[in-house]
Amino acid sequence: MRINCPFCGPRENGEFTYLGDAKPVRPEGGAGEEAFYDYVYLRDNVAGEMSEWWYHGGGCRSWLKAVRNTVTHEFLSVEAAPGAGGKAVQK
Amino acid sequence: MADFSWTPVSPLQAALKPGRLGEKSGPAGLKLTELTGFSLMQVQARRGRWAETEAAAQGLFGVSAPANPAAVEGSGATLVWSGPQQFLALFPAGYGADWEKRLADAFAGSASLSDQTGGRAMIRIQGARARDMLAKVCSVDLHPRAFATGAAAATSVDHTGVNLWRRADDAEGAVFDLIVFSTFAGSLWHTLVDHAAEFGVEAGRHPA
Repeated sequence: MRINCPFCGPRENGEFTYLGDAKPVRPEGGAGEEAFYDYVYLRDNVAGEMSEWWYHGGGCRSWLKAVRNTVTHEFLSVEAAPGAGGKAVQK
Repeated sequence: MADFSWTPVSPLQAALKPGRLGEKSGPAGLKLTELTGFSLMQVQARRGRWAETEAAAQGLFGVSAPANPAAVEGSGATLVWSGPQQFLALFPAGYGADWEKRLADAFAGSASLSDQTGGRAMIRIQGARARDMLAKVCSVDLHPRAFATGAAAATSVDHTGVNLWRRADDAEGAVFDLIVFSTFAGSLWHTLVDHAAEFGVEAGRHPA
């Protein structure tokens, strides 16, 4: 499995760490227990396209947001995580 | 109060045995050389300040800071891309008299500096079989068409993070420079020597 880092180009997956589902968004402070329980614990078990966090720790040390098909392991897109610093490098 | 006298010791002091290693017959396929005496500054642009960081680098080194994975030769230093909006400024002969202050003044307000001198070891890998050896330990495509002179990569070799870049070829073939954390330098050196052994290695150490 190769991941196309927007900064480094295609690299083996051993350089990356998987950080899980990129969908959950932290609720506002007063959102209540139910919303936080959902945010912290409840995850969809996706068979198909899933938005995920990856970390390129063995390379440029950037946080990335990828869309991966969990059935075929095909990566449909990989982009820099919002707020991670630089924009994608022009290759 | 006692005075202390600090003597720099190479992180490869124990691991590196200069001379011929591995296959003994024929000319050595590659040379592995520890380069010593350099100074190294990590430069990382503050958020939204990359343009100022580039301008400061231009003023100091006469070249723009690398925005892509590349190593650019500036006046007195090589600038090696290390990630988005950050690079390593490598001074082969050390900082010289006032360079730390000149760096601090030039990048004040635009970038954060972190002195990595002593925190890294530098290894030069060169020779006719340099690519053959690296192909066994590095997943980056180092073919001349894919990895031109001046190309750089932040990658992992033997699960160890390194900065690798390609210099101009010499008479014997390709020349790659590699920077690794000091504390991992010994084990990485052993890995490189093991994978180079079949080609015959000339190991050495000299000032960068």
